[in-house]
Amino acid sequence: MAQADRRESTNDPARVAVTAAGVISPLGFGLAETLESLCSAQDCVTPVMRFSVTQCRCKTAGQVSDSRLLASHAQIPRSGRLHRASHMMIQALQELVTQQPEFQPELTVVGTTSGGMSYGERYYRSLNGGGDLRHAPTWIANYPAQKPVIDAQTVFGFSAPCHVIANACASGTNAVGHAFECVRSGRYQRVLAGGYDALAEMVFVGFDSLQASTPEKCRPFDRHRSGMVLGEGAAVLALENLDLARERGAPVLAEIIGYGISTDNFHITQPEPSGVGARQAMERALESAHVSAADVDYINAHGTATAFNDATEGKAISALFNGVPLSSTKGMMGHSLGAAGAIEAIVCLLALQHQFLPANINFTTPDDDVDLNIVANEARPAVVNTTLSNSFGFGGTNASVLMRKFPPSPRLPRIGDA
Amino acid sequence: MSLAIAGMGWVTPLGTGVDAVWQRLLQGVEASATTISEQFADRVYSVFRVPESALKGISHPRLRRASVISRFAAAAGLHALESAGLKIESQNAERIALIFAISNGGVSYTKRFYHEIVGTGAQAASPLLFPETVFNAPASHLAAILGVTGATYTLVGDGAVGLAAIKMAEELMANEALDYCLVVGTEEIDWLLCDAYRRWRLLRMAPPIEPFSKQNRGMILSEGAGAIVLARDGFVTIERAHQGGHFRRRAEAEKILKRILCDLGQIEIDFVVSSANGTFVDQAESQALQEIVPNALVYTVKPALGESVGAAGLWQIILAAQALHSKEVPPVLHADHSVRLRLSFSRTPIPSARRAIVLSCGLNQQAAGLRLAIQ
Repeated sequence: MAQADRRESTNDPARVAVTAAGVISPLGFGLAETLESLCSAQDCVTPVMRFSVTQCRCKTAGQVSDSRLLASHAQIPRSGRLHRASHMMIQALQELVTQQPEFQPELTVVGTTSGGMSYGERYYRSLNGGGDLRHAPTWIANYPAQKPVIDAQTVFGFSAPCHVIANACASGTNAVGHAFECVRSGRYQRVLAGGYDALAEMVFVGFDSLQASTPEKCRPFDRHRSGMVLGEGAAVLALENLDLARERGAPVLAEIIGYGISTDNFHITQPEPSGVGARQAMERALESAHVSAADVDYINAHGTATAFNDATEGKAISALFNGVPLSSTKGMMGHSLGAAGAIEAIVCLLALQHQFLPANINFTTPDDDVDLNIVANEARPAVVNTTLSNSFGFGGTNASVLMRKFPPSPRLPRIGDA
Repeated sequence: MSLAIAGMGWVTPLGTGVDAVWQRLLQGVEASATTISEQFADRVYSVFRVPESALKGISHPRLRRASVISRFAAAAGLHALESAGLKIESQNAERIALIFAISNGGVSYTKRFYHEIVGTGAQAASPLLFPETVFNAPASHLAAILGVTGATYTLVGDGAVGLAAIKMAEELMANEALDYCLVVGTEEIDWLLCDAYRRWRLLRMAPPIEPFSKQNRGMILSEGAGAIVLARDGFVTIERAHQGGHFRRRAEAEKILKRILCDLGQIEIDFVVSSANGTFVDQAESQALQEIVPNALVYTVKPALGESVGAAGLWQIILAAQALHSKEVPPVLHADHSVRLRLSFSRTPIPSARRAIVLSCGLNQQAAGLRLAIQ
C-alpha cells in the first residue's frame, strides 16, 4: 500500500513555486516601486517624446526613463550598443538574481512582440534617407527578437536555451504559462519566465492606424472607453519545483497553479464577439488548476480599453465569475504587448503578497452591457488567495494564468458565496 | 519521451511536395537563383525563390491579403496534414497544437508599412498591412484555415528556431490532452534582408554556397516552409531533442555544438544533416563533427536550396527523415573534396542506417540538435 501511495505521488504533477521576480515598467524600477505605484493607483502614462507622434491620434504611452535605465548599466561591456529592450531585461533579471543568486534556469521562456524594433527602424530610415550607416551592423545584430534575452542571460552567466514566444499581446502570459507547464510536468526543475518589449514607432503607428489607441485617457471597462495606450517594460519570474525550492530553503513568493490557452479564429485583429476564446482560456486555466471560479479572489484583466476587447472579455468574465473583483492595470502603465503578461503576473504576485486589489484607474461610468465588479480608481485591501491574469492577442490567441498565495490565508466569505 | 513523424509538407525553391523535392535533391539538382534589386541603391542580390506554381491551389479568405510567408506556411501545413491522413474537425480541434518557427517574419509587409510612415507620415500607415507584420500572423492564418482551437505558439529565433519548436512540441505532447502537434517553419525573402546579412558579412552576392570551405564566402538566402505532424506513432521517431543553448561569440559556437553532439551521439550515428551554409557556422560544425562523430556521413542541403533561416531546421528534419526512410543520402553540392569530413559527395546508399542527427547552428547565437531513428 505504501508503495502504491508513493508511486501515485510521483505521478502527481509537481507544484510550481515563484521564488524570485524582477520587473521594470512605467510603474517603476523593481518590485518595491511597482508596489508603491500600484497602491497609490498612479497614472504613469506620459506624452511620447521618443519619436514624432504629431500625425497620430494618440500622443501618450507608458514609458521607462532612459537616463535612469542606461545609467545603471554603464559597467556592462558594450552597453552602449545594446537595445533598450536588452537593458530592460538586464534590469529585471538583475533584481531576480539579487533575490536568488543560486537560481540557474535549465530553460528560459520569454514573450516579446518587437525585440529590438527601433534599431530596425533606424537602419531603414538611414537606408531610405541616405543617412549614416556606419552603425548598421550593430543595429542589425541587436534587432532580432531573441537578442535581449540572450544579452540578459549573458550578463548573469546563464546559458539556458531560450524559447522566445511571439504570440502578440498574449506572449508574456503564454511564456509564464508554458514555463509553468514545463516545471509541473517534471521535465524541468527551474525555468526562467518573462517578457519584454520596448516602445517602437512602427508599432505605435500601427495601433494608431487601426484606431485601437486613444487620444484620451485609457479607461478599461468604462462605458466611455475609447482605446488603449501603449507601454513598455520587462518582467521575469523564477519558477521552480516547489518541493525542491523549499528543500533548499528558497522563499516561495507564490505558487502558479494553472494555465489555459485557446485560439479563436474569428479575425486577425478582433476577438470573437461572444468571448468564447477568452472564456475557453479561463476555463482551461481553472481546469488545469483544479479550482472553481468561486476560488478566484482577483482578476487582472487584459482590459485594453478598446471597445471590442473589453466587451468580449467582460462577457466572458461575467459568464464565468460571480462578482469577482477585477481591474485592468493598463490604465496606469499602458499596454506593453509582449511584456504585459509577465508584468501583470508580477502585479498579481504583489497583490497576493501584500493582500490588496490593484486599481482600474480612469474609471467613471460602468458599462451597462457587462456586469463586472471593477476595482474603480483606488487600490483597496482584501484577502487575496488566488488570482487570474488574462492576456489576449492578435491572431485570436488567448491565455490565462492562475496564481495562489503561499501559504494561503484564511478566506473571508464574499458576497455571492453560498 | 520520443515523438514520431506522422506527416510532412515542403515548399522550397525546388518545388513543393516532399517526394518531388527529394527526388530532385537525390539527382543533385540545385535551385535556380534569381535576382532582386535593392530599392535605394543599384545593388543586386542572388536569392533562391519559391516558384509561383508551388502555391497553386492554396486559397482561403484568410490568405487573400496575407503575405507570402503565410501562404508558404499554409501550403506546407496542409500538405503535412494530408500526408498524415489527419483531418481536423470540431471533435479534435483542441487536441492538436500548432507551433510556428520564424526568424525574420513578414518582412516585405513590415518594410512596406514602415516605408509609408517614413515616406508620407503616420497618417498614411495602412491598417490592412499592420496586422500582417506581427510575428504570429502566419500561425493565426493557418489556425483559422484548419480550425485549431487549442494551443497555438509562434517561436522566434535564428536558424535553430525550428529545432526549438520541435523541443517545445515535445514539451506540449507530454500532456496527454494533445494527440498531435503540427510544427511549421517558414520564411520569406526581401532585398532588405539581403542588405542586412551583407552588412553583417554573411551573404554571398551570387551562388554557389560552398559548404565547409575555409574561406567562408557566405550564404544565399532562400524562402519557403517546412511542416511536420508529430504524433505518438509514425515511421520515423524523434528519439531525443537536445535543448541546445546560446553562444556569446561566434568563436564559442563549436563548444556548444560539441556538447550537443556528445549528448546525441552516445549511440551509433549513421549520418548528420548539418546546417553548414558557407558562413562561420561551417567551421564550427566541421570541428565538432570531426571530433565527436568522425565516422558519420555528413550532408547539408543549403548549397542546393539556400539558407531559409526560420524554415531551415524543419527542412533539415524532413531531409533526415526522408534519408532514413529511403535509405540514401543526396549529394552535397559545391563542397571541396579536401574537407576533412565524410561528406556524401554523390548520391550515397545507406541500407543499414538507423539513426541520424540534425544539427543546427544559427547565425544569431543559438544552437540545437536532435536525433531521429527509424524502426
